Amino acid sequence: MAKPPAKPISIYVPKLTFTLDQGPQFGPRIGRLCLTQRSDRPSNHTIDIPTPNFLIGTSRGVVPHLSRDHVHSANAISWINVPFESFLEHTPPVPTQQTGSQPLHDFLGFDSSKHIVSLSLRDPLDAQEMPPNGNTHISALCMRGVKKVTLADWRSYVLTMQPDIAFALSDTPFTAVPHSQKRITKSIERSTAWLADLLRPFGNSTEDSPLESTPTHPLNVFVHMAGGASISARKSFSHNLTENLHGLEADAVNPLRCLDDGVAGYAFDLATLRMKPVPISVGEDRGRSIEIANNSSIPQDLVSLAEMPTPNTTRIPTSFSSSMNDLPSLSLSPTLGELLRVSLNSLPIAKPRLITDVRSPHEILRLVRDVGIDVYDAGWVVKAADVGVALDFIFPIPSAHVGLDLRKRDIGHNLYDSKYAGDFTSVTDAFLAGRDRTPSSISPICPCIACSPVTSGYPIHHSKTDVQSHQTHLDDGVGREPLLPPFTRSYLHHLLHTHEMSAHTFLVAHNVAVLDALFTGVRTIISGHADQNEAAAFFAREVTRFEDAYDEALSVLHTARDNWNDVKQARGKGRLARESGKTEGK
Amino acid sequence: MQFEVIAKCHTTRARVCRMKLSHGITMLPTFMPVATQAAIKGLTPQQIESLGITLILNNTYHLNLRPGIKVLDEAGGAHKFQGWDRNILTDSGGFQLVSLSKFTNITEEGALFASPFNGEPTMLTPEESISIQHSIGADIIMQLDDVVSSLTVGPRVGEAMHRSVRWLDRCIQQHEKSGRKDKQNLFAIVQGGLDPTLRDQCLDAMIARKNQVAGYAIGGLSGGEEKDVFWRIIKQCADRLPSDRPRYSMGIGFAEDLLVCVALGVDMADCVFPTRTARFGVALTFKGPLNLKLGKHTRSMEPIDKNCPCPTCASGMSRAMLHHVVTIETAGAHAVTIHNLVFQAQVMGGARDAILEGRFPEYLRSFFHSYFGDTGYPEWCVNALRSVGVDLMEGANVPLIQGSGAKWEYPDAA
Repeated sequence: MAKPPAKPISIYVPKLTFTLDQGPQFGPRIGRLCLTQRSDRPSNHTIDIPTPNFLIGTSRGVVPHLSRDHVHSANAISWINVPFESFLEHTPPVPTQQTGSQPLHDFLGFDSSKHIVSLSLRDPLDAQEMPPNGNTHISALCMRGVKKVTLADWRSYVLTMQPDIAFALSDTPFTAVPHSQKRITKSIERSTAWLADLLRPFGNSTEDSPLESTPTHPLNVFVHMAGGASISARKSFSHNLTENLHGLEADAVNPLRCLDDGVAGYAFDLATLRMKPVPISVGEDRGRSIEIANNSSIPQDLVSLAEMPTPNTTRIPTSFSSSMNDLPSLSLSPTLGELLRVSLNSLPIAKPRLITDVRSPHEILRLVRDVGIDVYDAGWVVKAADVGVALDFIFPIPSAHVGLDLRKRDIGHNLYDSKYAGDFTSVTDAFLAGRDRTPSSISPICPCIACSPVTSGYPIHHSKTDVQSHQTHLDDGVGREPLLPPFTRSYLHHLLHTHEMSAHTFLVAHNVAVLDALFTGVRTIISGHADQNEAAAFFAREVTRFEDAYDEALSVLHTARDNWNDVKQARGKGRLARESGKTEGK
Repeated sequence: MQFEVIAKCHTTRARVCRMKLSHGITMLPTFMPVATQAAIKGLTPQQIESLGITLILNNTYHLNLRPGIKVLDEAGGAHKFQGWDRNILTDSGGFQLVSLSKFTNITEEGALFASPFNGEPTMLTPEESISIQHSIGADIIMQLDDVVSSLTVGPRVGEAMHRSVRWLDRCIQQHEKSGRKDKQNLFAIVQGGLDPTLRDQCLDAMIARKNQVAGYAIGGLSGGEEKDVFWRIIKQCADRLPSDRPRYSMGIGFAEDLLVCVALGVDMADCVFPTRTARFGVALTFKGPLNLKLGKHTRSMEPIDKNCPCPTCASGMSRAMLHHVVTIETAGAHAVTIHNLVFQAQVMGGARDAILEGRFPEYLRSFFHSYFGDTGYPEWCVNALRSVGVDLMEGANVPLIQGSGAKWEYPDAA
């Protein structure tokens, strides 16, 4: 275990606060995450994120397919999570050598006045089998293979990178479920100890906010709610958080009275709960095998996404849903809802709850309705963009939308489909392109770079004469309104079939904007009713309308993935012949 | 097209021109990035415009295959299709027929090739090339020419040159009767291989058609020929082409090639090099190319070039971060592509200012000193620039390099 050099580092992490504006312990709730720079910092700004909302994960430190200017122009992006493991290829990890007071923001080019950047060791969407963790190390994955990261390493990375939010290490077994009682117990013990290790005081933590009644920690630490599929293990882990500490344990995390004092929020990683159970269940607890685990493989990247079997239509692929055929009830799969609630049951209600690896708007809405999760990971909209799907759904469904059409609508468009080759409309029906807004239009605008592109205001001038190019172009007024026509389905269809990367850039930006609109809709509905029960009932009604209107089987994603794969495989010399042969064959 | 020479270098043949097309003004000399399939790799048209780029190239051959003329017609042309309301130049498709199809057979009628969709014989005639380019609607369109590799010798070179002249006449005729001369401008392509006599004959014939063409391209080069031959052909053509027409050197993209061509009197150039090399992880700088894949960049917290105005460098994106993502994440390719396009534009923009301010020879000297000072000047560049009155070696203590002399950052010794 390499001891990091003991550097006298001060913690400048801004303070994260969460205000629960309205809502019950388990049910639709609205709140506000606020990141405030500490008063001794030169820049004294705050970042406000109304909840429910979303975070977007990075791949190797970048938001997939978006250049930095696009990340900055996408106003929907306000919380970015950085899995650190890809940086373990070098020792010490390269970002730790970034200088400045906000090394993580600076190294990755995020805006500290606009982006909350959190740091996790592992990619929460990655649930592939891994070598076992030890008592004081965790196995992480980078391009050079599996790396052992010790508790001391993680503390030093967090201290050096100074993320706005840090995720404590968690001992999640990445082997086939069910896990033995012994393994589950060990997982709970280690996860608790590892959280405690991160909460040990840092150099300057004693001077921190002596005026506050509750002791806090200078870092904003989120903890993964451990316990897997076991109700008792989850209870036990939550208990460990709130239990008052004594003796050496208390000294170790002084001034915290219990671990939960130092916890800023709770995280649930669905990927670990989606792992395929072994069919035969042994023992009472493990008998509660998780129903959501239809798809054993969690898509890690495009390739594994492509390899995922297309589910047959009688089964719902993300079965974090009621089975539409059997149960009229539209509640969460009882087991999973129970799992999440059991973890939260004994914990303070007014801390933010975060969930990763959700896979559909339906799932999100039910988690808002039945559990009251505040922050949702956007990985699934990026994956939809990877396979050429432009999302097109809206919540709440406008009354005008009440369909005569009995067939459910798709949640998006598979732009690989040849029916879009000559379709010159913008990529969504539910939203207007910015340019098509009229004073009387009621549909909302999609502000993304595909639907509402804007003229570049100040192009770079490369010589003194360039002013002629730009000035006269403005004067001529050749299509010079600030809002330009939207990019069309036809163009994106073309880009997808020609393997142009720009397609995915447009689609990520668009899908993120549609997701953002979903959360705006969610917050509007909940805040529209001062009475908590009324809000919950009204919200539930809107969720039902949404479920009735949009296909939850997500068949559009599966078809798109197949098409994406076909185009990818046909790639190379002679692909046009292969692709046209494929089309004729159908 | 309104074309106006607004400044000339007092020493070399370099000049600054103002070229007004249907989609705005482009100042020359300029480099044109290539959007083969109606997209600059990974970027959006608004990004391209924000980089100060006002003229891009689309490929006729590719757009004709996909999305196809029907879609382009319905979209109202390539500008609307790709959301780019600045200028576009399209090639004629002739080059791709040779480079991409094994079975192309050139006849007097046109180029006969196997359809990449079904293998059936398909004919691309000069008339059809022009009419496809009319559907695309580019501001500058190119004649269909009979392209032979620049390494070809023998009677085929002369045949191709003469046929290119005949095809030019057919292109002119097709273009004249289209009624699109006010919106689209036809360029002729000077052929003749590496043979100065053939080049002269081609120049004679094409200059005679000056009133029917808006500009001239110099084709049939950049195919692996000796650089010393390359510049002489460029010079021969640029010297003779009429000064009131833009001169376009096809397939040129290395910074030193661009500046030599500008000094010889060339106004425009295009190449996939800056965008393609970006995807392989190579950033272009005034000190030579930087291969970001190399281990030596792993921990470098410097941007590619701290003086560069591109969004990648301006955001402070370090070489270390780029090293971490290039060739793995698309966003890594985007970052370097953005930088390389701005680098090309800076090289040409710097040339425009220098010509306007009467210091182009000094600009050349300082560029070469910065770019090649540590390794040595390519001899062909020295020779080419001497031919227009600039001696790079004057007062410089730099070795001469034989061959192309192109700079490249190779992997560390294995």
